[in-house]
Amino acid sequence: MQQPEVRTMGQKTMGIKSVKTKGIRSWSSYLFVLPGLGFLVFFMFFPIAYNFWLSVKDVKVTNLNGEQHFVGFANYATIFKDELFTISLTNSIIFTGLSILFQFVIGFALALFFNKRFPGRDIMRSLMLLAWLMPIVITATLFKWMLAGDYGVFNYLLQTLGVIQQPVSWLTEADTSLYGTILANIWIGIPFNMIILLSGLQSLPDHLYEAAKLDGASRFQQFVHITLPLMRPTILVLLMLGVIYTFKVFDLIFIMTGGGPVNASFVLPLYAYQLSFITFDFSLGATVASIMFLILIALSAVYLWMLRKEEQTL
Amino acid sequence: MDHRKSGYGAMFLAILSTILFLFPIYWMFATSIKPMSDLFASPPHLIPRDVTFAAYLENVFKNPYILGYIGNSFLIACGTMVVTLLLAAPAAYALTRLNLRGKGLILILLLASQMLPNIMLAMPFFILFSKLGLLNSFLGLIIANTTVSLPFAVLVLRPFFLSIPSVLDDAAAIDGCNKWTTFWRVILPLIKPGMLTVGAFCFLFGWGDFLFAMLLTTEESIRPLTLGLYKFIGQYGTQWNNLMAVATVAAIPIVIIFITLQKYIVSGLTSGAVKD
Repeated sequence: MQQPEVRTMGQKTMGIKSVKTKGIRSWSSYLFVLPGLGFLVFFMFFPIAYNFWLSVKDVKVTNLNGEQHFVGFANYATIFKDELFTISLTNSIIFTGLSILFQFVIGFALALFFNKRFPGRDIMRSLMLLAWLMPIVITATLFKWMLAGDYGVFNYLLQTLGVIQQPVSWLTEADTSLYGTILANIWIGIPFNMIILLSGLQSLPDHLYEAAKLDGASRFQQFVHITLPLMRPTILVLLMLGVIYTFKVFDLIFIMTGGGPVNASFVLPLYAYQLSFITFDFSLGATVASIMFLILIALSAVYLWMLRKEEQTL
Repeated sequence: MDHRKSGYGAMFLAILSTILFLFPIYWMFATSIKPMSDLFASPPHLIPRDVTFAAYLENVFKNPYILGYIGNSFLIACGTMVVTLLLAAPAAYALTRLNLRGKGLILILLLASQMLPNIMLAMPFFILFSKLGLLNSFLGLIIANTTVSLPFAVLVLRPFFLSIPSVLDDAAAIDGCNKWTTFWRVILPLIKPGMLTVGAFCFLFGWGDFLFAMLLTTEESIRPLTLGLYKFIGQYGTQWNNLMAVATVAAIPIVIIFITLQKYIVSGLTSGAVKD
């Protein structure tokens, strides 16, 4: 509002005025951010704080509105000693690790392929994204059906290819249930990896490849010495985001196996859910959630450190 | 390179891999139009032989609950979209244009908030909402979903605002616009593609939510279609054609949004979500 006025002022007044308007400007600027920020602080940072606060108390359903005590790190000790914690942490690491590995490798292969020019490329590329956009509940139900032991189409495929002789009940056997959920999660993640890597590939300068070709570098040499080093920042961000998103996955496993059979596919988010909403040990549930949060924070600290190192070497 | 020749070979391979990759979605639809007896055929009919829409008739058109679930899903998804856009657009604008202290800190907090496990939010919400009387309410679900979509929305919108030259702001100011009218009348219309992208994603977030709906509601009259589908899994067991019919119906809005906005979705994903 002040700006047009300021512009018509003389030199000296303008100096004074602009100091004043700067104050007003930044104050009213906060009004733009305030609703969003206020919302986030209240509905997001409050829950985080509340989680940590609960994790050092002894709140259960029985004393939710009654007397509560400060117990220090006793809940953390209880959780670390619990066998279920070890199981779910291990499963979470396997789930995240294998999902990311396959999503990334297959996504990268597809990205390299779709980086070529051919008719219909853009349509097919974005069609694949449909898998990523599907609500998880649908994907989970769908894969439950495809991986069904008796009449699932996945067993039919494997039997036709001669990979297995007898049908496997993928989701109801302890040896395979975790891998069944991983398979579904890989399918979901491939298009996201492909799209991000593809946009990275498309921003690489052509002349480097032309120069390499003149020098007689093979396709493979070009990939190792040009593509990979230049793609490093994109790859780092992508892997990091992948780990964070995959570590949080709840719906998919909850619907496909419920964590079973006998905890064979039990992961950390399910563990937190069970403590908070099945046995109503709110403090223990909050402790698991807080541990997950700390793991993710630690991971992203490593990521930021790697990114900084990256910038220094460039 | 011989673009022409290798072009068609590559196209053929691409079509093959796309079909293979999207087979599960085809299988969902194919199962939904099969009669019950054909589900358990061995080997399975990869192309349905007897086509019937009985599963749709039975579960969608004759089932009054499903229409309720669909309506609820729309309400939650649209609510999430509107609230997120209203909060995110001015915030993203301010973070790119205006003189703000602590801009960097806010951006880092937004990034950090994306890694919160939803289950970590759900429990405090449950306790908070029970005190505020927001359990079993659309508003509660919209708030919960907005906490997830808001940071994402700000981060994706930011590059769109950055791409508009600030000369425009100055010109608007000369013409007598204040900060709000500059934002509302000049800048916002220019970032329509960004708003479409983010709006589409927020709708998808809201439509797909399962965890919050499961934990923050108990009444069927509030619950969205995702929970309806989950309930059917328990009820129907192995009546996969019925389940897949409901799943297909739940997927239809996603497919429609995707087809109409795919250009925006792809570019939004690559420009905002990662590079920033």
